Amino acid sequence: MNEWLMPLAAGAAAGVLSGFGVGGGTLLLVYMTVFAGVDQHLAQGINLLYFLPAGLMALPAHLKNGYVEKKILLPAVGAGLVCAALAAWAASSMDVALLRKFFGCFLLGTGVLELFGGKRAE
Amino acid sequence: MQKIQWRYLFAGTAAGTVNGFFGGGGGSVLVPMLTRTCGLDQRRAFATSVAVILPLCALSAVIYFVQGGLELGPALPYLIGGTVGGWAGGKWFQGVRMDWLRRVFGLLLIYGGIRSFFL
Repeated sequence: MNEWLMPLAAGAAAGVLSGFGVGGGTLLLVYMTVFAGVDQHLAQGINLLYFLPAGLMALPAHLKNGYVEKKILLPAVGAGLVCAALAAWAASSMDVALLRKFFGCFLLGTGVLELFGGKRAE
Repeated sequence: MQKIQWRYLFAGTAAGTVNGFFGGGGGSVLVPMLTRTCGLDQRRAFATSVAVILPLCALSAVIYFVQGGLELGPALPYLIGGTVGGWAGGKWFQGVRMDWLRRVFGLLLIYGGIRSFFL
């Protein structure tokens, strides 16, 4: 039961944040790898899958409220897809211990930027 | 105009690379880039990043799956939770306070970073 309940709750809590666009996926990765002991590669794969329904469910509301800047979508997604493919291939072929170190650095960097990143214009 | 296009391309490049490499976190990179270099307000940047990251996640997930690092069974509860949470997030988005949310987020990341790096 617990095997299902905790992932379900973590997925839902992260989903709310992902729906906002505030980094729910990043937190879910932290939950899975640091707290739930999921293997780094598996956790990353799960996280990618998880964002598909979470993002899809949030998107209609954002579109309806007019918050999605459409002119950015095509260039950003186009460039992003190429890099997403290459980076996914690189990470899934990489040694787990090394990947975890990179992940740790990424979290620290992002965390510090979030806390001390200066102006937050609303 | 031309200059602005390049900024979008660059933002997409950074988001795709991070998101593919770490299996997530593209939004954490994309949102600051959208607000700082592309001139979006914060709320627009968050919502737009959801739309940009979504196709990137789909493609990266396919590659993780093909490479053999992804099992669907353990992913299922996260997917179901994410569906409900994502829907609620989209609905509540207009009323949420961004600043304290990001502080808590930053603290959790630093904690996770220390644990990931040293364990």
